[in-house]
Amino acid sequence: MNAVQTAIPVKELLREFLAEASGIPDINDDTELFSTGIVNSLFAIQLMMYIEKTFNIPIAMDDLDFDNFSSINAIANFVESKQL
Amino acid sequence: MKSILTREQTYLYQGFKEYVSRYVEPEAAGWDLEQGVSPEAISHLSKEGYLGAMIPEVYGGKGWDIITYGLLNEAFGKSSSSLTVLFTVQNMVSSVLMKWGSGKQVEKWLEPIAKGEVLAAFALTEPNVGSDIGNVEANFTKEEDVYILSGTKKWITFAGMADLFLVFGQCEGQTIAAFIEKDTPGFTVTRINNMLGFRGCYLGKLDFENVIIPRENIVGKQGFGISLIAPYGLHYGRLSTAFSSLGLMRGCLELASDYALNRKSAGTTLINHGMIAEKIADMGVNYDAAFHLCVDAACADEKGLPNVMEQMIAAKYFASRKSVAAATDTVQILGAMGCHEESTPAGRFYRDAKIMEIIEGTNQVLQHVLGHTYAKRFKSKTMKMHTAETI
Repeated sequence: MNAVQTAIPVKELLREFLAEASGIPDINDDTELFSTGIVNSLFAIQLMMYIEKTFNIPIAMDDLDFDNFSSINAIANFVESKQL
Repeated sequence: MKSILTREQTYLYQGFKEYVSRYVEPEAAGWDLEQGVSPEAISHLSKEGYLGAMIPEVYGGKGWDIITYGLLNEAFGKSSSSLTVLFTVQNMVSSVLMKWGSGKQVEKWLEPIAKGEVLAAFALTEPNVGSDIGNVEANFTKEEDVYILSGTKKWITFAGMADLFLVFGQCEGQTIAAFIEKDTPGFTVTRINNMLGFRGCYLGKLDFENVIIPRENIVGKQGFGISLIAPYGLHYGRLSTAFSSLGLMRGCLELASDYALNRKSAGTTLINHGMIAEKIADMGVNYDAAFHLCVDAACADEKGLPNVMEQMIAAKYFASRKSVAAATDTVQILGAMGCHEESTPAGRFYRDAKIMEIIEGTNQVLQHVLGHTYAKRFKSKTMKMHTAETI
């Protein structure tokens, strides 16, 4: 599976998850998730668990970088890079 | 209840209950009175593998699923909250180690934790900081190859017995977490006694005076101590607390039911007095409801469902609140017998239940989270309904 094939479904799933968990229906793909308060410390763990289970990728110590999780686009890029 | 457990889970749960009946129940009151679970009891638990319940077998653990681990807490919670809280902290630290630990950290500590050769403690709370974990004050100073830690932690469970401490603090304006071994120079532990409940859990205060911590002991990366590492451990702490509260409720139910079915008053047994039957009915329904919430939260964790954190919080919130209600009613039903600790464990249940509402996120903090969560969830449904009506 290449990056192009996975990009759209990954973002769609993330949009759906974030909307359900945050109660905000239309989160832009570039919206800052942490600085806007959409993702707080409790939700950060939930988001991480969701990414791991849904996309079947382990998030390990080396992946701990806020840039990887700062927006829907950033997460999608991170997921793609782990799936390659 | 049985319908939602697998055959293996049911079998293991039965084994846990038999163990508790044989080894825990006869000793629990003594541990509470003497303010310390006996080292022999902890050693026995280690041999059974209960301290490494969720750690994979390859590291010497049992490798049980999360529901089975919950059932272990339920079974022990029925007789000794002081003992279940050992499972709680051991599991909180091992969960963090497995998730965020480096290869070297896992290699060094996971197997000894699984086998109970190393007891672990989760050192987050401080004299000035409880729920507001983002503002912990313990200070890590970064030097060339090491970190220097100064500060105090307080109300730390099993501090008096632990060999390894997962300590949270600040470093250069960011939060950080590190493993610190008990004999590290500059690190002292002082026991705290005479608590309301959980009296057997070796609560303690930790003082760090310029403690040198090797860089390799840092967990994860600087900046993630409170945003990811602590909440990860607390998530699994809530699981233990929820199931342990459930066990305490079962202890209350058994005690109150036996008494109500045998004690006579005004020419009949207590159960035939409506007000007593009502209390036991509430206890029973609350137990069953809490059981389903707990198992559902554990299933959500296994499946990685979007709302797993909230489900775990809801389970802990509900089970701990209802355990307080059950313990209060049990003392009331038993009357003087419920107030005399040499006669029944009702008083101990009453004291321990209250602690359940405070640990792993006070119920007020959890209410705050759940209030917002439920409001968002049901708001969206209402909005859809209004939209449909408008159209």
